[in-house]
Amino acid sequence: MRRHDVVVVGAGLAGQRAALAAAQAGRDVAIVSKLHPLRSHSGAAQGGINAAVGAEDSVDTHIYDTVKGSDYLGDQDAIEFFCREAGSIVVEMEHFGTIFSRGADGSLARRAFGGAGFPRTIYAADRTGLALLQAIYEHLGTETITVYEEWDLVQLIVRDGRAQGIVAFDRKHGTFEEIAARAIVIATGPAGRVYSRTTNAHSCTGDGLAIAYRAGAWLKDMEFVQFHPTALLESGILITEGARGEGGILKNVNGDRFMTKYAPHVMDLASRDVVSRAITTEIAEGRGFPGEYVHLELMHLGKEKIESRLQEICDFSRNFAGVDPVNEPIPVRPGQHYMMGGISTNIRGETSIAGLYSAGEAACVSIHGANRLGGNSLLETLVFGKQAGIAAAEYALTAALPSITADDLSAAERPVRAMQAKKDGVEPLALRSEIQSVMDRWVGIYRNPADLGKAWDALADLRRRSSELRIIDQTSSYSVNLGEALETQHILDLAEVIVAGAIARTESRGAHARVDFPKRDDANWMKHTIAAFRPEGPQLSYAPVAYTRWDPKERVY
Amino acid sequence: MVETVHATFQVYRFTPGVDSSPRYVSYEFDLPPHTPVLSALLKIRQEIDPTLAMRYSCRSSICGSCAMVINSKSRLACQTQIGPELARHGRIVIDPMRNQPVARDLIVDQKPFWHDYERIDPHLIADPAHPMPEGQPNPMTPEQVDRFYETPRCIACGACYSACPAKEADPEFPGPMALAKLYRFVVDPRDGATRERLLKIQPGGLWTCLRCHLCTAACPKDVRPSERIRDLKELAIAAQGVTEAGSRHAVAFKENIYERGLLNEGKLARQTLGLAGTAAQLPQAMRILRKKPELLKSPPKIEGLAEVRKIYEMLEDEERSG
Amino acid sequence: MKFAYYPGCVAQESGKELDMATRWVSRKLGIELVEFPKFSCCGSGFIDEANLTLNVALNARNLALAEAAGLDLLTVCSTCTGMLTLANVKLKDPKMRAKIDPVLQQIGTSYRGTTKVRHLLHVLTEEFPPAQLKALVTRPLTGLKVGAFYGCHLLRPAEEYPTEEPEDPRQFEDLITALGATPVYYRGRVMCCGFPILFVKEGTANHIAGRQIQDAKAHGADAMATPCPLCHISLDAYQNKAEHEVHQALDMPVFHLPQLVGLALGARPEELGLSRHLVSVDGALAKIGTVTVPA
Repeated sequence: MRRHDVVVVGAGLAGQRAALAAAQAGRDVAIVSKLHPLRSHSGAAQGGINAAVGAEDSVDTHIYDTVKGSDYLGDQDAIEFFCREAGSIVVEMEHFGTIFSRGADGSLARRAFGGAGFPRTIYAADRTGLALLQAIYEHLGTETITVYEEWDLVQLIVRDGRAQGIVAFDRKHGTFEEIAARAIVIATGPAGRVYSRTTNAHSCTGDGLAIAYRAGAWLKDMEFVQFHPTALLESGILITEGARGEGGILKNVNGDRFMTKYAPHVMDLASRDVVSRAITTEIAEGRGFPGEYVHLELMHLGKEKIESRLQEICDFSRNFAGVDPVNEPIPVRPGQHYMMGGISTNIRGETSIAGLYSAGEAACVSIHGANRLGGNSLLETLVFGKQAGIAAAEYALTAALPSITADDLSAAERPVRAMQAKKDGVEPLALRSEIQSVMDRWVGIYRNPADLGKAWDALADLRRRSSELRIIDQTSSYSVNLGEALETQHILDLAEVIVAGAIARTESRGAHARVDFPKRDDANWMKHTIAAFRPEGPQLSYAPVAYTRWDPKERVY
Repeated sequence: MVETVHATFQVYRFTPGVDSSPRYVSYEFDLPPHTPVLSALLKIRQEIDPTLAMRYSCRSSICGSCAMVINSKSRLACQTQIGPELARHGRIVIDPMRNQPVARDLIVDQKPFWHDYERIDPHLIADPAHPMPEGQPNPMTPEQVDRFYETPRCIACGACYSACPAKEADPEFPGPMALAKLYRFVVDPRDGATRERLLKIQPGGLWTCLRCHLCTAACPKDVRPSERIRDLKELAIAAQGVTEAGSRHAVAFKENIYERGLLNEGKLARQTLGLAGTAAQLPQAMRILRKKPELLKSPPKIEGLAEVRKIYEMLEDEERSG
Repeated sequence: MKFAYYPGCVAQESGKELDMATRWVSRKLGIELVEFPKFSCCGSGFIDEANLTLNVALNARNLALAEAAGLDLLTVCSTCTGMLTLANVKLKDPKMRAKIDPVLQQIGTSYRGTTKVRHLLHVLTEEFPPAQLKALVTRPLTGLKVGAFYGCHLLRPAEEYPTEEPEDPRQFEDLITALGATPVYYRGRVMCCGFPILFVKEGTANHIAGRQIQDAKAHGADAMATPCPLCHISLDAYQNKAEHEVHQALDMPVFHLPQLVGLALGARPEELGLSRHLVSVDGALAKIGTVTVPA
């Protein structure tokens, strides 16, 4: 049987950083990933990574901005740790070979980002995630690590109160395989594909989150879902805030610059949640274009400025929407972008299960609270990926040999083979589309009890139908169909948790906007939602928010 | 009402070990002309045949998963719109990438591609003489940054590798992506093994590049691998002179032109091949000379040769006797 | 129509037949070719490997010579076209400008950047509408299936040739159609001929050439035609070795572009130097009802 000290599931920035830390600690480390590490969605991050390294900036300001940005749901002790680690983690990445943008004096260049008191976002053009991903992958190549590439996580084996290993599906050979591990790190990224209108990759289906949840790990704050105001119509590809930063404006079907109404001072450059809500209101009140979108206009900026400063946006619009922003408006609407919630961890990446760790967007420490600031997500992957790797390595050093039995493998394989044996049934991609349209329609930016109730009922119906999921593809090698069946089950579980948390939370905080409870309610709701798996559905409980120095105030920009 | 076009797709289907030979399956839809090929393939998977095997993830040309051959061009499916392809070809033929064995349908086994990438030692190698500044980023001048700032655009999709005729003809050749990546390390001021890297890559590596620029035409991210390979060649010659048939040829050619301003073909062959090589070429040379006897004569010197020589003298380091 | 004629090295030496055919076709079509005995070699993709700046400077001088005469360049070689165009592109970069301008000054010249580099193929297809060319055809190449072989540097890097699709061009095929012949579309037509490594890795180079000829043959070509004398060396002069590498008798006649045009416009084979080829073109000529006169 395959056996490793530390098995890291997921090979984005968090997973690779965890693997690196564990390998440097001398453990035998393996990575399991359904994508080649360089194809991970971390590579799609554009803007940058925050670190208060400038002379005029301070770590305290970064902490404060993050606390305030979180709408006071972030744990302040974790945020303090997070911001203090930022400088060294960025320097480390530079030493690993990251090709950052530089100032004229050769220092790391920094740019301004929303919600930040100083320009503290270090970047590599508009491909910061890609530059970091390459550097960590290159550096990881200097360590001896086993990579199980194009393997899907199928099951987490938890016995005697601790994680013992995993069962995975080898896409290439079409076989189920078990790997025993003294410690396991889940770094499988987000579940943005719970929605169809998302900036996330197709592969962001929350595999590790859902599997850890079913294995008994707690999920935290899953109802907090960040929507980016400007996702390209149809494809949902991100159109960066920079487009409005350069002077782009939003208009409705009547040609009105509607942001003057919602944010008279900063208008189109208001914070993400404000702009997303404004667009949603315009569309809901009938002032969107047929097909439910608004226009982002850049034409007045002139060809030269558009093509030089917003080159990627030009490429995206032309390639993916058939629209040339030099001559026509870009059709946009809000799209799911980030999940503040995830597997509940502390700053060491420890979860509610011994031997199980998590980091990155799959995890929730929580530092983002109810709303994440731009530039903090890349930082999170590296800071807490490293911590989870260190902690997992420490645990593995003293942990007893894990035990996995042949039954574990067959128990994981049997239901999948049963789906393959069905003559008739529901197609995974069809069911997935239905889950996504439920979430798109009823669990979006504005939430009301009636819609959430409809979503809950619809998901219950889809849950029943999910027992009829079938896998048509019988070929052993590269059954993409089989992977999609697994993923569909994952997003169904996670959709339920999001809806349950959103129904229960009767306040508006950060990204969670309840129409019937438009105000933040610190007296009753300054607490984390914890979801535990029960066969009948998620069981919710609540945990306190950690305070250090910052009292809640009204969030005004 | 969105305008649509009628689109016919002919998609390569093959499962090695199961199917006796590859086949093309046709699918037809009416779709808006700006529809990405990837969306059309996903539509096939969702509505017609979920067994079509392919890789895809980000759908925004950043993960490099969906490289394939579309109407004979190595491309990302997500970045290729159907409209222009249909306008030019009337249909869209989709094949798996070349130069890598087919695993199933549009999925190729990328092991050879990653193996070639690993061959160039793709990580910074510390320079003991210049340790990294503790707790501080390495300083760099804008000129240093300029040389490799664009190199991280590479998404390792493999389109260049698929398009490369040198890779097709010579398995030893590491292919464009690995060499473009090597350039990234060679010019990195933080790297301590620049010279060793150039030494290591020259035999069987660098000089097999045909500079046909098919890689640059295929690259979805404008990395321009063929130009980075050219840069590597110049750096290799500067670092260690002529050690290979390839560098000997480039330098011999340059010297040849200094003499007359135009190429002396016969002499160039002798310069590059050396005595033994020239002797081995005699039968072929005799064949050609029978038809083209002027190869034996030296061409005349161009008018204004002094100007050409002046240019050499200004832009070359070495002393010349003329 | 008047151009500064840039024959390149090979057309003045082993590829003399290309020069002969070019002059014949130009006379016939009223294209005036102005001689510039001061032109130097384009660098052929080799000098730039040793010293890019030097190569750009040499071609800046060539381009400046034409500019001073108020003429655009007419080339008959894909590689010359590519290298001279590369110089034009590089000279748009201020950093390269700063290195080149002082050099030009030293030899008493300067270059503003106005000289266009035009290959004969582009001149024929852009300046002579197909109908006009068709009207001049006295010996239609009816029944002859011709596989165009472009030569890399006529097509790529792409942004230097905005009118052509770098992996899917049509100009040459359109011209072949206008001459009465039938173009053959095959993947190899935009591929490499192997020439750049002919003296470096001969076996690989021959193999690559062999693959393209095989491909043309498999698609039914009776003959190939190329706008590049370097491709011609690979495809014609080394075809025997290519046959050996791909283990197939190929027997593929390869025309230079202006030879094919000349034939259609009524030139006698000896006026086009057709007997200088290593692979006999007799079979192809027989197809269009012409015979060669032994050299």
